[in-house]
Amino acid sequence: MKLKKYKKVSSTNKIAKKIKKPKDWLVIQAEEQKAGYGRKKDYWFSPKGGLYFSVILPKSTIEDLQILTILAAFVVAKAIKENFKLEPMIKLPNDVYLNQKKIGGILTETVVGEDVKFSIMGIGLNTNIDKFPKDLENIATSLKIELGKKVNNDKLIKQIVKGLKDQLGAISE
Amino acid sequence: MPIKKLKLNINGKKYNIDIQQLSKDTIKIKVNDEDFIFKEKRKGEGKSVVAKTSIPKRDFKEKEIKAPIAGVISEVFVKENDFIKKGKKIVLLSAMKMENEIISEFEGKIKKLLVKKGEKVKEGNVLIILE
Repeated sequence: MKLKKYKKVSSTNKIAKKIKKPKDWLVIQAEEQKAGYGRKKDYWFSPKGGLYFSVILPKSTIEDLQILTILAAFVVAKAIKENFKLEPMIKLPNDVYLNQKKIGGILTETVVGEDVKFSIMGIGLNTNIDKFPKDLENIATSLKIELGKKVNNDKLIKQIVKGLKDQLGAISE
Repeated sequence: MPIKKLKLNINGKKYNIDIQQLSKDTIKIKVNDEDFIFKEKRKGEGKSVVAKTSIPKRDFKEKEIKAPIAGVISEVFVKENDFIKKGKKIVLLSAMKMENEIISEFEGKIKKLLVKKGEKVKEGNVLIILE
């Protein structure tokens, strides 16, 4: 997995969009995002400890990308279930919940002319976040809060990216 | 002003005719894409005055940019009469799971902007017409 890791960025999707010659499956990861966002530009709380990354997707049709975006929620949920024996729930189209609280989200962004020029998938997963601010503590959770221990971000990112590759391979076959 | 619509078929050729009264003594008759304006003759004038106005025959250089997927227009980055270059962002189209920046593959002037923020579109709906 090709990975570019940053300490602090505005958002990994924004950084990914600025790359001049983006290579397929390049992963942009940040330890912290100052302006993480989800669909409709909803703010995504992104302090240190969480897993925030964007994946540059290979050239695909817009329909395949739409399917992949839904499947990404399943890929994230599967990683949580298999690694930690937890029971995540998917709220379609692109959120992952644990104990009725949001734990992960996905945002795919594309640039489309006559065909898709560029597409990235941004994933935010609350992994090692100790505490959420008051306005979020009842609606968001993290793996660390649920498990009472730290999880391995590097292992998770690899599993998720592999899962996405497998899914896109299956869709576009 | 009221519009009367007629459909005629003359020797197999179809004519869509809209007749519209523009003012007390002026009517506009649109035959397919051509407009003809008739002024009622006034005293002392022998004939009705006919003015053929626009000839909006489809220009081959006209380009349409269509929605690649169904969704909601969440941002519009251009306005009518803007001159845009290839690669210019036209709209942000949010399909349920994705945000899609629709860019222009052509250069030209925006003749018609057919969508607005918040509007739902279907796949294939024309977003803008360039000339």
